Amino acid sequence: MYRYDAIDKSVIEDRAAEFRDQVARRLSGALTEDQFKPLRLMNGLYLQLHGYMLRVAIPYGSLSANQLRGLARIGRTHDKGYGHFTTRQNVQFNWIKLSEAPDVLDALAEVDLHAIQTSGNCIRNTTSDPCAGATAEEVDDPRVWCEAIRQWSTLHPEFGYLPRKFKIAVTASAQDRTAAKVHDIGLVLRRNREGQLGFEVMVGGGMGRTPYLGTTIRQHLPVNHLLSYLSAVLRVYNRHGRRDNIYKARIKILVAALGAEDFARQVDAEWTAMDRQAVDLPDIELARIRGAFGYVPFADLPPVSGVFEAARKADPALARFARNNVKAHKVAGYAIVNVSLKAPGEVPGYGHSEVRVTHEQNLVLPHVKLDDLAAVHAGLTAAGLAASNINLASDIIACPGLDYCALANTRAIPVAQSIARRFAEPDVAESIGELKIKISGCINACGHHHVGHIGILGVDKKGEEFFQLTLGGSGAEDASLGDVLGPAVAYDQVTPAVDALVEAYLRERRGAERFLDTYRRVGLAPFKAAVYADAH
Amino acid sequence: MPMLIEREGVTAFTEAVDTFVRLAEDEAPEADHTDLLVSFARFQAEGEGWLAEGRRMGVWLSAVEPVEGLAYDLPRISLVALEFAKFRDGRAFSAATLLRQRYGYAGQIRAVGEVLRDLAKDMVRCGFDSFEPADDSTPEQWAASAFRFRHVYQSAADRRAPAFRERMGEG
Amino acid sequence: MSLAALTASNLRDGEVVFWALGRWAPRFADAELFDDPELGQAALILAKAQSTVVVDPYLIDLELEDGIAVPTSYRERVRALGPTIHPEMGKQAEGGVVIQALRVHSGGARSSGRLGLIRLKK
Repeated sequence: MYRYDAIDKSVIEDRAAEFRDQVARRLSGALTEDQFKPLRLMNGLYLQLHGYMLRVAIPYGSLSANQLRGLARIGRTHDKGYGHFTTRQNVQFNWIKLSEAPDVLDALAEVDLHAIQTSGNCIRNTTSDPCAGATAEEVDDPRVWCEAIRQWSTLHPEFGYLPRKFKIAVTASAQDRTAAKVHDIGLVLRRNREGQLGFEVMVGGGMGRTPYLGTTIRQHLPVNHLLSYLSAVLRVYNRHGRRDNIYKARIKILVAALGAEDFARQVDAEWTAMDRQAVDLPDIELARIRGAFGYVPFADLPPVSGVFEAARKADPALARFARNNVKAHKVAGYAIVNVSLKAPGEVPGYGHSEVRVTHEQNLVLPHVKLDDLAAVHAGLTAAGLAASNINLASDIIACPGLDYCALANTRAIPVAQSIARRFAEPDVAESIGELKIKISGCINACGHHHVGHIGILGVDKKGEEFFQLTLGGSGAEDASLGDVLGPAVAYDQVTPAVDALVEAYLRERRGAERFLDTYRRVGLAPFKAAVYADAH
Repeated sequence: MPMLIEREGVTAFTEAVDTFVRLAEDEAPEADHTDLLVSFARFQAEGEGWLAEGRRMGVWLSAVEPVEGLAYDLPRISLVALEFAKFRDGRAFSAATLLRQRYGYAGQIRAVGEVLRDLAKDMVRCGFDSFEPADDSTPEQWAASAFRFRHVYQSAADRRAPAFRERMGEG
Repeated sequence: MSLAALTASNLRDGEVVFWALGRWAPRFADAELFDDPELGQAALILAKAQSTVVVDPYLIDLELEDGIAVPTSYRERVRALGPTIHPEMGKQAEGGVVIQALRVHSGGARSSGRLGLIRLKK
């Protein structure tokens, strides 16, 4: 965990005080709702269907146990005892009173948390790899760069009122757990042949009603120039992005209109003219940030744990959990444990008091000793959190949908619950294998349906909930956008339709092929035939 | 007329008298109008003559008029007014930053339009030094908003020491 | 005959409220029903002037189901009830005849047929 110093703390406190003043001015009538709305959004406060929703930033998905407890306290004191982890690795409270929002921000500040720039047309929370600092795959710890971006983007005086929201992802592993290619900027950290660290910079990815995959505009940006280069991209966007049409205001539209080459040329011109030294962090500050993450006191352990191996043989549930939810750690004798939130309960304390939030709306305990795995599993089981379904059909991404969201056309969570129930039987889910189902309750695509192996988009048809299915999307390193299967289906037909798609996959599958691979090989036809009666 | 607030020194703001006469598009200046504020188009057409008459010139730029268009004239311009047609339109922040940092413009940069004190800190940081608040802000309220934050993370046109310099014991 | 009610969100706490003879009521069951569009518009004008009390007041269409007026749109039914995934939360927790009517006739969940009967447009 990055430990905040006095400066970092002061920014959060001052922002909370500023918002308290803005709320007071709204309540007194000094600010109109039109004026207040962008101001409250920049602090993550939405007015939703049933009340105000506060989105709390979890910077690059990283939380301490103490912060998680802080969130739980707020949930109990100011809300109805629960929250919603988002595909942006943030958390949302659904029942916050405007008059209490300033107190909630003060309570957040006490545990170094805040809601700064969790909405509004500004640079949002950076997405990163939930396995950062724990996976052997990565070439460097992406969190160092995420923290540099967090500081640079926090209350940036020039980039607070962009044409539209702006999302950045940073990954340092070959396996992309951040959906980098569907971000406004996706940064992939790599070493070049000389061994120097650099970022592949992709711009113009995004979802919404016109989804795009990002285009690479720089293959190897030297890491120490990250912030000046980002500033150049943002300046070109701030000046030239469209502001006349909200649906054409994201950077993806600007990049598509100019063409990636011309866009890159404009960025380079801006970057060349910029006083980079004033913007880029000096090495000493980068080293300070790296140091402020502290060191995990890993024990010297053998790569195989006798305790764990024995427990695994004795307990099939633990074996299943290990198969599906436990991933390799860079340090011998440790493991990365995924905690599926697609089951109710509370989170117990293990893993060096650190928890990560994934964009797939689960949690990760990044550093668990293999020797402790059985105990962790037992604790999770007691809390109702031991679902062994990571990346399986019942591990579904869903936006809040019409149960909460003022923008939604349809519900999403009950659809996810229904599908999850259909594939609840662990043997069934495991035999199907990796299947990423993602559901959005409207075209804003918060549920990432464009990049679901099976994507589900809620649409309103004359006041009724209908759902359009897409196949073959991926938000991982093999990113692609899904193809529309056919006409939308009614609410109670979604689960049977998904069932039919899975049946078709099981018929067509060759060997250990994933759903996605089978789809890519055979195309839409057999799936279409399975769902629509007369498509033969 | 809204109140005009000007920055005075490093952290103070004061109410100021606007010496610039804002000319409507078809309006000719009077002989005693020594300071003129005109649109970019009018400045291009007639600015040369007014400067030759010894008047001080201010140019009003809407958000779609790039500052690059003024680059060569900046040394002769006393005021650039950057318009916030809506306060959510942040293009003027880049415009002011470029004027100060790229073109070294030393004259006055004025925020006009939907100018709210909630933007004061960003405006000051990007190099604005005069303001026509649309929310009846007083100079004291403006100052409180502009310097509410004890620390800042970025270097900007105001040359305030960012956090990373403070941490190195500078600033 | 058109039937309408006037709704908004409380500024201070965000709660869904309904216009009820000049005041704001939290229960849809207490909402004033306008069968005359002019009366609805008149109330809307009054509501819009209360910008430090409520946010975004607007009229919603109602229809009669088994003699009980309920919002036509599914979205408005969810607002009048609470989240469908948490029946113990929001206004629906209180129960009552109108809540029951809103639940039973939740339009968006209506089925339009069974799988396998979906026809592709030729």
